[in-house]
Amino acid sequence: MRTLVGALGYRNLRDHSAAFEVTDRLAAGDPQPGVTIEDTSYNPIALVQWLQGLAVDEQFQAVILVAAIPRAGRSGGQVTAYRWDGRLPPDELVQQSVTEAVTGIINLDNTLIIAGYFKVLPPAVAVVEIEPVDHAFGPEFSAPVARAIADASALVRRLAADATLLAALPERGLDLPASVSVPVR
Amino acid sequence: MCFKNLPVEFDDQGRASLRGGIPNPYAAAAAPANVPLQLTQEQVEELVRRNGHVKSVDFDPVTRVAGALAFHAVADLKERRIIEARSVATLFRGYEVIMVGRDPRDAIYITSRACGVCGGVHSTCSSLAIEMAIDCVPPPLGVLVRNLALALEFLYDHPLHLHLLAGPDYSAALVEPTNPALFARAKTAATRYGEVHGYRTIAALMEDLNPLTGHLYVEALHMTRLAREAYVLICGKYPHPQTIVPGGMSSTITLTVMNEMFLRLSQFFDYAKKLATIWDDLTEFFYEANPRYKEVGTRRANMIDTGIFDHPDAYDATYKNADAWGNRRWATPGAIVDGKLVTTDLHKLNMGLEEFVEHSYYEEWTGSGQRQHFATDPAGNPLSPYHPWNKITKPRPEGQNWKEKYTWDTAPRWDRLGMEAGCYARLWNTAVAQKLPANPFIESTGHSLKVRVPKGALPEMELEWHVPEVWNAFERNRARAHCVAFTAMVAMNNWLAAMDRLKDGDTRTSTPFEIPSKGERRGVGFWGAGRGYLTHHLVIDRGAVSNYQIVTPSTWNASPTDRWGQPGPYEEAVMNTPLLEETDDPKEFRGIDVLRAIRSFDPCMPCTTHIHSDAGVVTREVNTCACGLDG
Repeated sequence: MRTLVGALGYRNLRDHSAAFEVTDRLAAGDPQPGVTIEDTSYNPIALVQWLQGLAVDEQFQAVILVAAIPRAGRSGGQVTAYRWDGRLPPDELVQQSVTEAVTGIINLDNTLIIAGYFKVLPPAVAVVEIEPVDHAFGPEFSAPVARAIADASALVRRLAADATLLAALPERGLDLPASVSVPVR
Repeated sequence: MCFKNLPVEFDDQGRASLRGGIPNPYAAAAAPANVPLQLTQEQVEELVRRNGHVKSVDFDPVTRVAGALAFHAVADLKERRIIEARSVATLFRGYEVIMVGRDPRDAIYITSRACGVCGGVHSTCSSLAIEMAIDCVPPPLGVLVRNLALALEFLYDHPLHLHLLAGPDYSAALVEPTNPALFARAKTAATRYGEVHGYRTIAALMEDLNPLTGHLYVEALHMTRLAREAYVLICGKYPHPQTIVPGGMSSTITLTVMNEMFLRLSQFFDYAKKLATIWDDLTEFFYEANPRYKEVGTRRANMIDTGIFDHPDAYDATYKNADAWGNRRWATPGAIVDGKLVTTDLHKLNMGLEEFVEHSYYEEWTGSGQRQHFATDPAGNPLSPYHPWNKITKPRPEGQNWKEKYTWDTAPRWDRLGMEAGCYARLWNTAVAQKLPANPFIESTGHSLKVRVPKGALPEMELEWHVPEVWNAFERNRARAHCVAFTAMVAMNNWLAAMDRLKDGDTRTSTPFEIPSKGERRGVGFWGAGRGYLTHHLVIDRGAVSNYQIVTPSTWNASPTDRWGQPGPYEEAVMNTPLLEETDDPKEFRGIDVLRAIRSFDPCMPCTTHIHSDAGVVTREVNTCACGLDG
């Protein structure tokens, strides 16, 4: 089984760089068979085109996306994991997402919408979110996010290694009503 | 004599000086002659009070991620016209403030972030400004590869705008509900260039412009991939390159890189033919169906461009010789006033530039005993206190109303005129100036630009873009489509020249440099974005940036009304736009004509808008790239 672990965010943007810290730690640890770690922040359309271009034996059976993204009702540093249900918004919003993507707007939601619309994702898509606190230039994290990174890294490592754990995650859409927390240890 | 409004005159040798006998030569005593004016706020309020059919129509941002443009208009629904228009940049980005005190080299990477599409143009423009400030000249191959990189960036940008952003305005999905009679006509209207683009009727073409599902929409996504792949071969990554440096490019250029690039570039040959003929057909269809479409987005043909794509034998990075090397560029610099090219001299373009902030969220930096830092440019030509080299960015978002301040954009003016920027200005200047070097692909005739596009699956074809008789939304898009062929052939010329260099064993792409730690130095990058004019004005003091000013195409186009009441280009274009949408029901009003007018400029910010009127709210978008507007 091939699994893609993708980080979404911006380096040197304090808490919004958290995903890269997670995937950097994953990459620095023992290699996991079948796991590819990738910066998937380079543009949702380019990501779609990369996934479309993979040979059959290179294609992924599971995708885990990691991102720091603010959602209502969560506390700073809170780690949330779910299986994306694949539901797409109306076409007008998909078009808007494509527009944003090609003009330089990159975030988790438009990546999922565009990749989902163009049918390049496998059925198993897990999302691990970290609630950011600080949004400013710089390489350091806020204290809550710094504390959360170890948990998030451990969770991503387990999800990448264990398809049954990934399948057991609660299923959610993009319109998360509030946090959906899962135990990380 | 190119200046009609600035107090600058020239002697027999062409040397500029301030006209004598004027105590305060740059004072704003009178409005420039023959310019359109906004109604005053009092006049608008009186019209609204006296006429029930005059309504406020707000294009109000409801941004999901990073919106930056709003638009306010007052519409006379009986006369079906706009009587007041205000362009509002809602976001302060502040690169000018961020840059102060930094190492100048940081500008290459920081200012690149001004745009999510055209980061490379900002990196390049800052590199040019630094080169000029520190006397660093790139080697010929460095100049050629830089030209190639930016041509490839435009081959990403133009298709993206034409078929992902503006194209849907002309698609069946939008034309059918907003102008059903027009769409019915399109079903039987034969195209002129069906053998090139493959569409026999205009309606079939419109169907394929449909967002998400239309073939032309999906094809544009694919073409952006090709351009991006070719770009990263020499720039490392997109949209923020890693190899653009003062003194050239840090990339290693080999025959393999060149061949890989050509494989992708050559796929634009047929695509360029297709785009030009599609937009020729669309434009002529609308004009024939209703000549009033020529009024959509119309304004005086006042435009400005710094030129782009240097000739390696001419470019020496000096301000002193900017007129000479500017005129050897593949795209000629120039200012066009009322459709006439009045100068191609970069000194004059720079000398005539001023920025005003009466209606912007900034504090005035002149007056109150403030000393004008530079009275002249490095060649001794007079400069205004409102020139970017003299400007100090002082954000102050106070007095927020239409009468006082309403935008984060400044009001740049050239010779005190509202100018627009776009790749079409690049075509227009180059077509009229006739300064192109001899080459196998592009010919400037004085009234048109002929572009010979090589054989692909389609045979070789000569495309000809004519200086238009009217200037409006359709001509902006048509010119942008022709600009794909022009850009691809500029790339071909530079690709061939770079191959010659490589064959001669010349592989050097950059010149080593150091930032001097003493003294004050000035530089300016004269470059162009996909959507036209771009300047970075830089002052270095003892090795650090003491002033950095960016004027982007959208700084010009989204400009607010100035101190004389002269509207900015979006504002003027919208005020001149008739409402041709086929509806008498305000609830069904979608504002398609106004949106076509604004979007034809390729507005440089992502912006989701609500069109709000008393009759209801309709959601529409005015999206393009995520460039900064703040000046």
